[in-house]
Amino acid sequence: MALGMLSKALRRLLSRQRTDVAGKGQCASSPDAVLSKRLRENEALIRDAFGNSPDLIVREIRFGVSPGIAVLVVHIDGLVNTALVSEGIIKPIGIISEILESERLPLAQVQDMLKNRLILLSDAKQVSDKAGFLNDIAAGKCGIIVDGSSEAFVCDVRGFEKRGVEEPQSEVVIRGSREGFSETLRVNTSLLRRRIRDPRLWIEEFTVGRVSHTQVAITYIKGIADDKVVQEVRDRITRIDVDSIQESGELEEYIEDEPLSPFPTILRTERPDRVAGALFEGRIAILTDGTPFVLIAPATFLMFLTSPEDYYERFFIASAVRLLRFVSFFIALLLPALYVAVTTFHQEMLPTSLVLAIAAQREGVPFPAVFEALLMEVAFEILREAAVRLPKIYGPAISIVGVLILGEAAVRAGLVSSAMIIVVALTAIASFVTPIFSLSIAVRLLRFPIILLAGTLGLFGVVFGMSGAAIHLSSLRSFGVPFLEPIAPVVLSDLKDALIRLPWWAMDTRPKFTGENDPRRESRGLMPAVPNPQADGTLGAKGKKGPR
Amino acid sequence: MTVLEGGKISGRQFMSVLVVLRIVPLTLVFSLINSIAHVQDTWITVIIGTVIAIPIAVLITKLSLRFPGKTIIEYSQSLLGPVMGKLLGLLILWCFLCTSIDITRGLGEAYVIAIMPETPILVFMSMLIFISCYAARSGLEVICRLGEDVFYIVVFVLLLTYVLPYTAMRFENLRPILAWGASNLVPPVIANLGYYSQFLIIGMLVPYLNKPEDATRYAVYAVLISGALMVLAAVALVAVFGTTASSWTLPLFSLARMISLGDFFERIEAGVMAAWTVSTGIKLALFLWAASVAVAQLFNLKAFRHLLYPLGTITVAASLFFFESMVELEDYLAKAGAMVSILVAGVTLLLLYAALGIRMAIHRRKGGAG
Repeated sequence: MALGMLSKALRRLLSRQRTDVAGKGQCASSPDAVLSKRLRENEALIRDAFGNSPDLIVREIRFGVSPGIAVLVVHIDGLVNTALVSEGIIKPIGIISEILESERLPLAQVQDMLKNRLILLSDAKQVSDKAGFLNDIAAGKCGIIVDGSSEAFVCDVRGFEKRGVEEPQSEVVIRGSREGFSETLRVNTSLLRRRIRDPRLWIEEFTVGRVSHTQVAITYIKGIADDKVVQEVRDRITRIDVDSIQESGELEEYIEDEPLSPFPTILRTERPDRVAGALFEGRIAILTDGTPFVLIAPATFLMFLTSPEDYYERFFIASAVRLLRFVSFFIALLLPALYVAVTTFHQEMLPTSLVLAIAAQREGVPFPAVFEALLMEVAFEILREAAVRLPKIYGPAISIVGVLILGEAAVRAGLVSSAMIIVVALTAIASFVTPIFSLSIAVRLLRFPIILLAGTLGLFGVVFGMSGAAIHLSSLRSFGVPFLEPIAPVVLSDLKDALIRLPWWAMDTRPKFTGENDPRRESRGLMPAVPNPQADGTLGAKGKKGPR
Repeated sequence: MTVLEGGKISGRQFMSVLVVLRIVPLTLVFSLINSIAHVQDTWITVIIGTVIAIPIAVLITKLSLRFPGKTIIEYSQSLLGPVMGKLLGLLILWCFLCTSIDITRGLGEAYVIAIMPETPILVFMSMLIFISCYAARSGLEVICRLGEDVFYIVVFVLLLTYVLPYTAMRFENLRPILAWGASNLVPPVIANLGYYSQFLIIGMLVPYLNKPEDATRYAVYAVLISGALMVLAAVALVAVFGTTASSWTLPLFSLARMISLGDFFERIEAGVMAAWTVSTGIKLALFLWAASVAVAQLFNLKAFRHLLYPLGTITVAASLFFFESMVELEDYLAKAGAMVSILVAGVTLLLLYAALGIRMAIHRRKGGAG
């Protein structure tokens, strides 16, 4: 509603700025973009480019009979594996040097030898482009320049400190894999490869960020994912022209469909199993180097309310838990608003004894219910934010302050009614049920306008606010897929994995919008049945079933 | 010709919005009860109305199917020529706007009467229009997607409302049947048909169906489902309230208030009110959408979205000034309003089919000559 209009106006403002940034981008291709033939010049160039940073290691090695041939070995300290450098680069150079002691060879031959020795290292390539060379060095590769040649070797000897594969912090499950993504792109792609051992898992890499040169990879299963959507993702990523991308959240804001919505339309997750599951539904994952959060697109609203555990637990329980999660979602969004609306305008809806109890509590409270609700909600939000920021050692102190002062004492002092404390506490707990944090913060934000509407117009206000949210949500699309699918539009075949989850042997098709290419995911009739003991029946339940 | 609305809707969505737009007046249940002298016969009049409505719906749908991709506004111009066609288009537009005005006022009055008597009616009406315009601005697809969900909700809530007050039902209230002669049935049947003539909106929806061949089938389903829901409403209301059913201002709301199961499942009327509000919002969004598309097509505009808020504003103002009170609104809807909408629908269909027949005859003669 208001959001829509606001978004239109904002977009007009924002789009104006967008046009003049584009076009400034590439500045590399000047005539002296290639490396020089003189070693000194190259050394000066490298040192200059890095501003003589202390972690830049430039080693000069001379080999052959004097004066011999000088070779520069360049890398950044801390980004390379030093053992690999000495084993794979310095040692071969030494060997060549020994050969050269005995005979004098032309430069081309020396270079050839060097190349053949270095090829033992993974990913050695020859470059002559200055900017490319410098970028490779900055990315942690090792460069080797031979005097007299404008061709340099670049070998991948990267080895830096990285966090291992640990349990994800934000999406904990009881049953299921404990693996979580880490900050290193290669580790993350390997986690996916280990789950999908098939050449059809395609990975494409992009470099985003003019200065940060962040590696971004999109992965999908060829044949399941829609090529048009893959192309759309590609286009949206290559469109980005910015100096730096640090986290997938930044990337998300550049590629999402509806940039001015409080709701996220791209899912983020730390769990490889979740990404693998999404890939099998024909979705596309976007991995960003430097963050464990992987983006999944196209995403639907219901994906934000599901947990990977839903697919591992028995389906009855999983369905019940999922329904519970929907209820909690609505509690987190609506409960304070409903409390305000009912106590302010529609007391007749409550059982008489409850009305009297609430009225008695509210007797001494100086504020109207709306204000009371807003006060407590803001107080709770402050508490929650403090709990995230605060050093662990202060934890107990804050909880004492929070519980005693804000809860107990506020009620005793007559500032708030205890019913309101219950409402706020329940709301707070319910908001933690949402498995994906980006949706739960959207709900936290939306709660406040709905409380205000409830305080001014009662249930009509709540219905008004919810209708606005519903209209907004159903007009959203995520890479062409309606965001509220399968609820609006209703897609019967996708309801199998929506509010409830059917057993795996009944979920035989992929989602309609993303899995059109290859709709069936399992053969029919996989429902396990008790084997007939007469036929062969080693495993049959003996004597219990079947004819005697 | 620029494409005004790019959305596509499915057959089920089409049916859902038709049902929603027919049963929304149940919020207030004017025509159903008020215009009849003898409430016992209400369900019969509803059945008669439904049976007559089926051919109306089929006629409108079939006509639209002859002009694939064109709305009723567009093909009436190609059938009747630009001047007559535009005049007829204006008539249809006026019909759409009148419907919007009636339901806006109706919902506002319902809130003021039943829930918040001290709030000015303008607040409810303008907020309702605002949210409906927002939905309409998002396009037909969004309206129909939500319309389908609202349809399920409304059907569920209505069935609950019919069934749960079973302890209060006295089915002997339904007797005597047809004790006062068949002529008494005519006014309520007309009032009922008045609402069905809103099905003219089918002419705006058919071009956007993803499978137009299903249109007739779903239009008939829509009439049948809404007819069934209304027959049940009539039976439930008379069974519970007896001959006093016609004197309740909001009978169905009052029916929901009667619900009390085991001392804990009660006071669900707020849920009923919420379901009515959203369904009214959907209906209003649909009619405002249709009205603005009609304006755009009548005057060859390139976009319709800018027209929504102005049309909405006119609707709010008109719904304030057209009627003095709820009583006047009900009276108008049951008598003059019904006649007017039947007249509009009848004139439209008659003119268009006559023109179609003449054109086909000419075409055939030409074909025979050539």
